[in-house]
Amino acid sequence: MSGRVSVGQRLSLGLSLIGLFGVIALIAMVSLQYGFTADELLHFSTLAYTRNELIGHVGLPILVLLVPTVLAARWVILRAFRPLEAAAHAIEAAPTERGVRIDDRDMPAEAMPFVAAINRLLDRLDSVAREQEAFAADVAHELRTPLSILSLELDRLEGRDAIALKEEVTAMRRLIDQLLLMAQVNVEAAAPLPAKSIDLATLAEDLVARLAPGIIAGGRDIAVEVEDGHVAVAGHREAIMAALRNLVENAVRATPAGGTVTVVAGPGTRLRVRDEGPGLAQDDLMRLMQRHERDAFASTDGAGLGLAIAHRIMVAHRGQILAQQEARELILSFQQ
Amino acid sequence: MRLLIVEDNERLARLTREGLERRGLVCDEAHSLDAADAALDCVIYDAIILDLGLPDGDGLHWLKQRRRDGMMVPALMLTARGALEDRIDGLDAGADDYVVKPAETDEIAARIRALLRRPGVRALPLLEVGPLRFDCAARRASVDGVTLDLSRRESDLLELLMREAGAVVRRDRIETSLYNFEAEISPNAVEAVVSRLRRRLDEGAARNMLHTIRGLGYMLEDRGQ
Repeated sequence: MSGRVSVGQRLSLGLSLIGLFGVIALIAMVSLQYGFTADELLHFSTLAYTRNELIGHVGLPILVLLVPTVLAARWVILRAFRPLEAAAHAIEAAPTERGVRIDDRDMPAEAMPFVAAINRLLDRLDSVAREQEAFAADVAHELRTPLSILSLELDRLEGRDAIALKEEVTAMRRLIDQLLLMAQVNVEAAAPLPAKSIDLATLAEDLVARLAPGIIAGGRDIAVEVEDGHVAVAGHREAIMAALRNLVENAVRATPAGGTVTVVAGPGTRLRVRDEGPGLAQDDLMRLMQRHERDAFASTDGAGLGLAIAHRIMVAHRGQILAQQEARELILSFQQ
Repeated sequence: MRLLIVEDNERLARLTREGLERRGLVCDEAHSLDAADAALDCVIYDAIILDLGLPDGDGLHWLKQRRRDGMMVPALMLTARGALEDRIDGLDAGADDYVVKPAETDEIAARIRALLRRPGVRALPLLEVGPLRFDCAARRASVDGVTLDLSRRESDLLELLMREAGAVVRRDRIETSLYNFEAEISPNAVEAVVSRLRRRLDEGAARNMLHTIRGLGYMLEDRGQ
């Protein structure tokens, strides 16, 4: 609060000044009317009388008037600003940056220009973000055909160079998938679908069944464990599946050939992915999920991007991603 | 094996055809739905590869119509669907499987092989996965021509795994297809059959083809032909 004066403080100060001026004006008017001079008023024989008169007829009435005014005004001001405070809390607590608007129903008229301007700004930010997402989605879509052609042309080549090129194309395909996913997750966050009840154990099994052929072809194993039976959370099934898939792909990347990636449903509303890599500390995970800071872990197939997307999906589901370095686990943790 | 590729981008159609032909699948191209209709009228195809956006109509609508008219040829759909859509429209329209574009030739070929292995109107009497052969009528399995000595349950399991080669077959599905309802299934019954089958396969040239996905099921690797 360094040097910042609240409206209540300003009002108290203003009213005190008014009181002071009132006292001086009153004394001056009384003196003029009765022709008192300063000498007569302040003479030692009349001083006590003057003081009593001043307190009784000037000080008290002004105090009786001013004190309730100050208290009432401060109360009114506090009440008037409460909607602004509530709006600030609501913005802070919003699960995503998208589609947030200030509720102006209880706002005082004086705050409306500001609130309306903020809401218009949020509108503009949303539409800019939407345009960028639509653009990213368009680019990703447009890239599919040339990439198909490239991939099929490469198919005719053989040898070491061709294999390396094919791997690059595969990585590029995955990157485009992730871009599309990111755009869709953001659109989804702006206008969420109605949440459905999703069984985490079934979801884990379905995902492992889908990914197992590729992981096994890559020389690693994958397993599923269900700890707490069938526990359900509310959300968007394909989005949670995409988040879990990104964690599994991250785990596959960290696991040396011959190792096993294990997907565990439970305990409770958790999905855990265990790898056989060096393990990741919570701090490193947080850094990895921030943009521009994943250089140490960067890869051409969007490793950091995958975790950042998983993070967004979890935030939209009011959950979080945790890292357990000793257990070599990344965890999708949903609210109970 | 004869396939019909319905794709309006002629270069993509040609490249897909050439890729599949290198893998031993004979293909024809149709660059429009009219051409596809004409081709289907004079050749009996084993499978169709269908792209959705075509100049003279929507591939999904066309497939639905064709299915209503009684066409049974299995269809593999090429889709550019987004990452978050959980329902694939094409599967409702009568497609048997789908691949997300851009797809690699190996992936398309693997899906086509899986489609052709499915039991159906033109069910193959002989299943082939890599060096493995399974004669469904005689119920005889062989690796590189050497006959495998399998029990009834082992051959049933091998047939199931071969039909689904390249995909995970879940434990409960193996249980229901190997044992009838009355049978008391001991907890390790499936494991026992699997490990016997694996020993047989490992003895021959089909080494390390049968994989365990712990907690879920088993998968026979699809090594192509």
